[in-house]
Amino acid sequence: MAFRKIDIDALEEDALGQDELDFQEIGEARSRQEVEAQVNSRAQEVRTLLQRGNTGGALSSSLQSPPYGRGFEAAKARNTQTVMEVLNSIKVAEVAQLVKNLNPEEQDVLMKYLYAGMAAPEQNNSGVLLAWHEKLTEVAGQGCIVRVITDRRTV
Amino acid sequence: MSDLPNVNEFNLGPISCHAFNQDRTALALSFNSNVVNIFRKSGSGWSLAWTLAEHDKHVTSIDWAPKSNRIVTCSQDRNAYVWTLDSASQQWRPSLVLLRINRAATFVRWSPEEDKFAVASGSRCISVCYFEEDNDWWASKHIKKPIRSTVLSLDWHPNNVLLAAGCADMKARVFSAFIKGNDKKPAPSPWGEKLPFNTVCGEFSSGTGGWVHSVAFSPSGDALAFTGHDSTLTIVTPAAGSVQTIRAPSLPYLSALWLNENQIIAAGHDCAPHLFENKGQQWAFSASLDSAVKKADVGFTARDTFRRMDSRAQSTTSNDTEVHTHHQNTINSIRAFTGDRNHVDQYSTSGIDGKLIIWSTNNIAKGMSNLHL
Repeated sequence: MAFRKIDIDALEEDALGQDELDFQEIGEARSRQEVEAQVNSRAQEVRTLLQRGNTGGALSSSLQSPPYGRGFEAAKARNTQTVMEVLNSIKVAEVAQLVKNLNPEEQDVLMKYLYAGMAAPEQNNSGVLLAWHEKLTEVAGQGCIVRVITDRRTV
Repeated sequence: MSDLPNVNEFNLGPISCHAFNQDRTALALSFNSNVVNIFRKSGSGWSLAWTLAEHDKHVTSIDWAPKSNRIVTCSQDRNAYVWTLDSASQQWRPSLVLLRINRAATFVRWSPEEDKFAVASGSRCISVCYFEEDNDWWASKHIKKPIRSTVLSLDWHPNNVLLAAGCADMKARVFSAFIKGNDKKPAPSPWGEKLPFNTVCGEFSSGTGGWVHSVAFSPSGDALAFTGHDSTLTIVTPAAGSVQTIRAPSLPYLSALWLNENQIIAAGHDCAPHLFENKGQQWAFSASLDSAVKKADVGFTARDTFRRMDSRAQSTTSNDTEVHTHHQNTINSIRAFTGDRNHVDQYSTSGIDGKLIIWSTNNIAKGMSNLHL
């Protein structure tokens, strides 16, 4: 099946490429400073909410407008860390109710972060993430997992 | 008319696509191959009447024009044929269509007036085909811009001019397929007023990626629904300027059908038709319409459960791999069976499990009343 390894798009002048798809889904790229400032201020805000014991608020605000697009690796890692802090500081008993309170868009973003977290098992506690994954799948279904795969706006 | 789903098992392989004739006494099917089989109703079953073997490769789509009794088929061999039944010999005669494409044809549908049809293809264009009297063949015009990838599905607007297309570049679009000299000028609609060929009347996306598997105009044509591989159903209403995306909890839908202006059926990898309803300008998922799940659960008492666990030496019953739906694999096509465009009474689904099932919409009212209990 050697022919399967041939890049047929290379022969096509007008192939649909990565850049075009990213632009279509994400839109105009923002500046790095802007994205990083937003991520840092959110990390602060989430930490304050956690200190006050407002876990629901912390979870919800950690999932707002994630840094999408290429070239924001540092900001993405920082934001993933913020979400992980929230997930780790919530008691298992609370998880089911908190997941139910999220809107469908937040649920999809949370699922993206669960997979992003599980992709780095040396940094994150996979046991905690799997517990969240189970509860989230019960509420949002397999469709939520499918959307993590199809969505080009990766975290 | 029974309310129970009428299951037709062919056991000839996965069904790629299906189409019925006008009075529903004949059925064209392709079983994942290069031939089209036409069955005629005999008693409660179907018997093979004709085999159309003109395509070289996998047949991807079939459509049967109800009024003019012509069949159009398209295939991965990059061809489409229009089949007419020769009244003397009672044989189907093919006529080739000049599609002018260099990739597989993926989908074909007759226009409501049956004077033209559209073929979607992998060569990033839609061939709108019309009959040229002078040359005695089907010629085509291409809708190209701004399609960026394979077109996977099509649906005609009732006005015979507008055409919706679902595409692998994650967009659903509405085009004008107005053929000069063939079509009358359409009345203004929410999609636009001046509609020369290839006018883009709208371009929509669900926002979460995923190929658009299926597109469908509402009975009036004033709204468009499309499903994507991101497990969403999106409803576009241009008059209200609204685009509503429903994030479904299930696996992706491959096909959708409007039952009436306020109800849509969608089905796909979850093997069951799902109902979506418009409740006060807000669309939402209502229910799965395959009640086989409940049937499977009924009759298993705790005693039975433990006995089964014991006989299989299992500690739990969780490794149940049965699919509790009538369809045992992905549903890839839903079509109206009886009723008119404004009110579908029965619809048919076909899938990879090789079954064709006819469902009654009477079930919906009943299923709903069960839910209230």
